[in-house]
Amino acid sequence: MKSITRKKKTTGLKKRESLTGYLFVSPWIIGALMFLIIPLGQSFYYSLCNVKVSPKGRRYDFVDFKNYTDLFRLDVGFIENMLRYLLNTLISVPVIVVFALIIAMLLNNRMKGKGFFRTIYFLPVIVVSGPVMIQLADQGATSIPAMNVSGITRVLSTYLPRFMVEPIANLFNNMILILWYSGVQILIFLAVLQKIDNSLYEAAKIDGGSAWECFWKITLPIIKPMILLTTIYTVIYVSGNEQNVIINSIYNDMFAVNRGYGFASAKAWLYSVVVVAIVAFFTVVLRNRDTYQAEIKRFEKMEAKKEKERRKLLKRQTRRSGKWVVGVFRK
Amino acid sequence: MARYRKSNINPKRFDRSQIKIILIILPLALFMLLPIVFIFSHAFKPMDELFAYPPRFFVARPALDNFYKLFKTTSTSAVPIGRYVFNTLMVTLVVVIGSVLISTFAAFALSKLRFRGKFTLMEINNAALMFVPVSVMIPRYLIINALGLIDTYLALILPVLAMPVCLFLIKQFTDQVPDSLIEAAYIEGASDFKVYQKIVLPLIKPAVATGAILSFQQVWGDIMSSAYYISNETLRTLPFFMNTLTSISNTIAGQGMAAAAGLIMFVPNLLLFIILQSNVMNTMAHSGLK
Repeated sequence: MKSITRKKKTTGLKKRESLTGYLFVSPWIIGALMFLIIPLGQSFYYSLCNVKVSPKGRRYDFVDFKNYTDLFRLDVGFIENMLRYLLNTLISVPVIVVFALIIAMLLNNRMKGKGFFRTIYFLPVIVVSGPVMIQLADQGATSIPAMNVSGITRVLSTYLPRFMVEPIANLFNNMILILWYSGVQILIFLAVLQKIDNSLYEAAKIDGGSAWECFWKITLPIIKPMILLTTIYTVIYVSGNEQNVIINSIYNDMFAVNRGYGFASAKAWLYSVVVVAIVAFFTVVLRNRDTYQAEIKRFEKMEAKKEKERRKLLKRQTRRSGKWVVGVFRK
Repeated sequence: MARYRKSNINPKRFDRSQIKIILIILPLALFMLLPIVFIFSHAFKPMDELFAYPPRFFVARPALDNFYKLFKTTSTSAVPIGRYVFNTLMVTLVVVIGSVLISTFAAFALSKLRFRGKFTLMEINNAALMFVPVSVMIPRYLIINALGLIDTYLALILPVLAMPVCLFLIKQFTDQVPDSLIEAAYIEGASDFKVYQKIVLPLIKPAVATGAILSFQQVWGDIMSSAYYISNETLRTLPFFMNTLTSISNTIAGQGMAAAAGLIMFVPNLLLFIILQSNVMNTMAHSGLK
């Protein structure tokens, strides 16, 4: 009886806590459901359909996965664009994140005019989106004129296979663009770096740690979760902005006569699968492998295994002894 | 203590040890400034310089021609420009405040409260994050149509309120808020909302500011929703108006006006950021986050 009432009490508390939880999330759930989740589901349904818009209304003819197969059969540039996007993203995202980290660490130093520099490094974020960017790219302002890209390409092509050369050369070509993309990341890194306790570094210094060691043993482990965050953010930003070739082609297909909305949705879904794959890749690479935590987990696992074995033995023993006892009684 | 720390992080005096850092940072900073310089110099270029070949980055003879032309064209439009400005300001204000509130609420609950399904919700948000926004355009239109929101301010506001990027960023920051602080508050008798308001919100200020800037950007330059959900000219927003101005009149004259309009649309962005960054970044060093 006692145990029952106690159980009821805890569930009541839990219920109340979960109620406040739902209360806090509900505005977001409603907003996301209406304008994000339901449209996403609908667009998946449309991607399986042949959507025709006529004066009488819209007609959806279910065609199974025809749109998806058409993507590979009919759209000539699609696979090529996708591969190029994949390579470019895999190469440029680490560069952006590392650059942002370096700048953030430099800005975190003691120096005059820090706020001024911080502002400047974040400024491109508010410019890069939108039509200004397209104008700038047209004017050739995104590449450093002094940098001799063809020379770099020649050197690279002697060492690397051909499909690798192009994205790397592209990287050098759009160096400024990469600098511009790293505003938010710098801000995030700065926020975390400022939170690191100074006494940690002091302690390390007393123990004879160099700045290099301090970086690898103190700074990096602390900011690791934020590195993952910025990496994911960068992937999404690079994949979703207006300069992306595939986004533009989706937009064009939507209003094209022979393609239509179903085709565009299929493309969008396939594209987002690729983006998810990239994010998953980076997550696996950067997942938090805290040595202490891993050790504790391994220990716990071992304990659990031992406990299980012990229980098994105990069970067997009692069973055996029980049998024996029963046997005794029978006798 | 606090004062000592502040002076430690932002030294007032110039020191010789700072030279090597500035040597690295300054040239890169110049590159970062390029787009802004370009916007300003482009807006003041007279006609012959706009179309000069090869294109020039800096303006040689600055002139106000583009602005004159822009204001002349706006004064001939049927709806006064003040109306567009008002629409844009209202929509932007509501969206920025609304989306930050919703995101911080949700982030606090998803990160610090216990209830069933919160991991699933986060996964859904992350999945939505990966998705191309262009592809939900038509289903979104159908939903707005079904709700009868066409030609209302709500059509401009509601779809962008739940921003996955915002929630993602803010939730990751909220995860870093130590549980012990929150537990201490609960022991002192604080309600969930008090904890959110007095502890979580001040500590995640940088994330909130970043989220506010991102959502501001999204609404401020948004042409699509004005074009698709609104057919009443008096409810449309300023960027849409600027866009039509520069595309309706012939393209050559439009170029100059587009440059001037770009500058006008850009300045509020700049102001907002400067205000937010000085407020937010300086408070961060003293927060209890460790």
